[in-house]
Amino acid sequence: MFSIFRQLVFVVTFTVFLVNCVDYDILFANKLVNHTDSSKVTLPDAFLPVDVCGARIRDNVFVIFILVISGVFWLHRLIKFIYNICCYWEIRSFYINALKMSMADLPYFTWQEMQARIVEIQKEHQICIHKKELTELDIYHRILRFKNYMVAMVNKSLLPVRFRAPLLGDIVFYTRGLKYNFELIFFWGPGSLFENEWSLKPEYKRGSNRLELADKLSTRILWIGVANLLLCPVILIWQILYAFFSYTEVIKREPGSLGARCWSLYGRCYLRHFNELDHELMSRLSKGYKASSKYMNCFMSPLLTVVAKNVAFFAGSILAVLIALTIYDEDVLAVEHVLTSITLLGVCITVCRSFIPDKHLVFCPEQLLKVILAHIHYMPDHWQGNAHRYETRDEFAQLFQYKAVFIMEELLSPVITPFILIFCLRRKSLEIIDFFRNFTVEVVGVGDTCSFAQMDVRQHGHPAWMSAGKTEASIYQQAEDGKTELSLMHFAITNPHWQPPRESTNFISQLKEKVHREAICGQQGILTENHIFSSIQSESEPHSLIANLLVGPPSLASLNLGREASMTNHVVDVGLADGASALRSFSPLSTSQHLRSSYASTRLPRSDSAALGGGRAMVGSGTDARTASSGSSAWEGQLNSMVLSEYASTEMSIHAVYMHELHKQQSRGQLSRHTWHRQDSDESSEGIPDDGEAPRNLPRSNTFPCAGTPQQEGAPLHNTAQRRYGGTTESLSGGSRPMARFSRIPMGGWAEEAQASRLHDPVPEEGSEDELPPHIHKVT
Amino acid sequence: MNCRSEVLEVSVEGRQVDEAMLALLHTILLHRSTGKFHYKKEGTYSIGTVGTQDIDCDFIDFTFVRVSSEELDRAIRKAVGEFKEALSNSGSDGMGQISLEFYQKKKSRWPFSDECIPWEVWSIKVNVVNLANEQERQICREKVGEKLGEKVINIVEVISRHEYLPKMPTQSEVDNVFDTSLKDVQPYLYKITYQITDSLGTSVSTTMRRLIKDTLAL
Repeated sequence: MFSIFRQLVFVVTFTVFLVNCVDYDILFANKLVNHTDSSKVTLPDAFLPVDVCGARIRDNVFVIFILVISGVFWLHRLIKFIYNICCYWEIRSFYINALKMSMADLPYFTWQEMQARIVEIQKEHQICIHKKELTELDIYHRILRFKNYMVAMVNKSLLPVRFRAPLLGDIVFYTRGLKYNFELIFFWGPGSLFENEWSLKPEYKRGSNRLELADKLSTRILWIGVANLLLCPVILIWQILYAFFSYTEVIKREPGSLGARCWSLYGRCYLRHFNELDHELMSRLSKGYKASSKYMNCFMSPLLTVVAKNVAFFAGSILAVLIALTIYDEDVLAVEHVLTSITLLGVCITVCRSFIPDKHLVFCPEQLLKVILAHIHYMPDHWQGNAHRYETRDEFAQLFQYKAVFIMEELLSPVITPFILIFCLRRKSLEIIDFFRNFTVEVVGVGDTCSFAQMDVRQHGHPAWMSAGKTEASIYQQAEDGKTELSLMHFAITNPHWQPPRESTNFISQLKEKVHREAICGQQGILTENHIFSSIQSESEPHSLIANLLVGPPSLASLNLGREASMTNHVVDVGLADGASALRSFSPLSTSQHLRSSYASTRLPRSDSAALGGGRAMVGSGTDARTASSGSSAWEGQLNSMVLSEYASTEMSIHAVYMHELHKQQSRGQLSRHTWHRQDSDESSEGIPDDGEAPRNLPRSNTFPCAGTPQQEGAPLHNTAQRRYGGTTESLSGGSRPMARFSRIPMGGWAEEAQASRLHDPVPEEGSEDELPPHIHKVT
Repeated sequence: MNCRSEVLEVSVEGRQVDEAMLALLHTILLHRSTGKFHYKKEGTYSIGTVGTQDIDCDFIDFTFVRVSSEELDRAIRKAVGEFKEALSNSGSDGMGQISLEFYQKKKSRWPFSDECIPWEVWSIKVNVVNLANEQERQICREKVGEKLGEKVINIVEVISRHEYLPKMPTQSEVDNVFDTSLKDVQPYLYKITYQITDSLGTSVSTTMRRLIKDTLAL
């Protein structure tokens, strides 16, 4: 923030200076400068004298206007900056006095340590007066309140970020500008849904006047869209200048860096767990970065490679000639445009080289995808088994985009954002109001949080994701792609001291037990010292999913055996065998020795390989480490928490892969259950694509529509599901029916018929039907 | 936010507003007051005595207990009087809200003034009804009396739940927690505010404040 206001001053003054105070003719040696002493043209010669410069600025009204606007903006930032400094001072004294951490030690503390201290001082000082003890979940809720809402909205496809452009196909457009606007509209802007940082306005919690509220929201979105439109030129100029100043140097120095990829903003939102802090998310995504780059680089189009090779050859030859001439006589550089062409040719060659694949590249997309899954934890179902296809790769590119594309999107964002706001977001006002009303829960001592963030399997679990029989959620309430279950596991593993509520405890312990059992079975298989024997043994058990994860590198024999085995296990085992070796590549080898030295109790006395020992100790120490660490000294405690947090990520990866495999097995067994493919209501008015592709067996995940959208088997489900998705399916059932005004369509069809008859009901609206999403209930 | 908030609602007739408010406010203050602290050396203190007295209401069949401190009574009466005037002047449907807020002061550096951090807020929502004849008024007297009795029991239940209370301060910090300006009793620092609500539930000052805060947030 300090950097923004310093950069703003710099960019504005520098640009004004460049535009007005530099005589480009002299710089370009188009005009001669008379010098008495030397013939060299110096830099200050190109600067116009101050009075001429000032006169030029004063004459140029546009520049004055820009200066005034940026001055106001800068002043506003300055005030905010000073206010923030005071807040930071208070935070600093909180750290020093209450948490007893000095500033010098601060970088070396882990987040778990910090949390533990905060929980301690709550007991002592009672900083939160509503409850006696704070739990880790409360702390996370307070920090991540709004982010959880955004994650939930993207998960339920509520925000308009996916579009079908005419030429480009399915694209995702989610930029920083758009995100800022969403947050402005929902959370903290003027007239937003939240009355202060911690509570939703009371009228949004009641269902009695949702139509008026939706209208109000829609008007507000319109105003903000118009304001964006008016400010668009200013913001656009700013973005262009900023990008120019930031990235030109990078491009010149390392042109290949634009070909590098980074996780897109949408990717971060899609892949984020509920209650996951920024640093946890970034570390997870960074771990998956290498595998993801390798996966994306696997795919090369031969035509492009040929073209790139030829262009690189020609450019390289010209460049070589120029460089040779320059080496011979450096006056060549003084010739006009030589330096320009050398630079441009260099850039061109680097760009071409990025299209030429590495000669030693091995094409193993499934394995890479497995490794990626182990880190990012979320993946649409139709990717698994289809890793080699271009569609999968293109969809993955939506999560993991080129940096150049990212910059392009940021530059286009000021122009496109107002239209998205005005045309796409306004239509969803009623759904948004309903979302906030239905999925907000008041937690004592924390305020209003998203009910998805409670990670309650009973209320938001998905039957296809291990919650069959445990969940009471309707389709509207379920979190897609297993987000509830995975977030719960992630939180439980990252915060081992957290006491989850009872049903969640059951869920977590069941899952851990299953994983543990598989691991033990796998280990027992290994101890028999016959590699092939062990893989036969592991196959004979129907659900030995993790067994293969801890087996050594898949030998050819075991792979062959895998193929000869029953078909149902075939894909799973082979895939897992590949994944096994891939997973082992990131199991911490060095820390396994560390573990063995610092913990007295290891499960099995001997180990074949270091990695195996690490793996075993990893799983075994999951429970042992906690008991062992409780009685250690402070320094060891710190070490334990750091080591534990590293193990936590590996443990979570194993659990995530296990859950995905289980989900795949479960969903294979349920061909008939087809999770409804929920598209944005504006895009689907084109009607349902009617390609004759054979229906896929795997159910599709809702947030990732793929090219082959639901066909014949989708049709009978239309009618049943239509009632449940009042707002969206009425447009899906045929583009001919005009989009009825959103205010007339009830949301969550099962509840609203009863509601329509009631007029003013101050008591929270409880529909007479069965499954009504919870309104507000105190969660302690 | 770090503050408990309790809401009480009463429906009374025009003449009963004064006494109903007095009853409730005094009940709350009775439990949130102590005797004067007399600090001795070595940091210990002794607490003075506080007397109580019963007050009968004229327009309601109700008797309540309050601290026998004239100064406190005067302060509360003044606040309630202002509230009643505002209510009768507003001419709206006779809905208003009076809030008793207990706060702690926090000394801040220059240039910021001292901060008041509330730790408990009692909001009493009042709905004034107009009754036509004497019969109804009689019934109303009894009903309101009963209602007030229930409210008082409610208040006592909430208070005796032993939730957060500010820690007992040292001598130098007494003014940050307690109101030491009264002669015979020492309640926690409190302030009484009221607002006459219109249909939207906001007032001009709050919207202005929100606007300034919002631009600062931007």
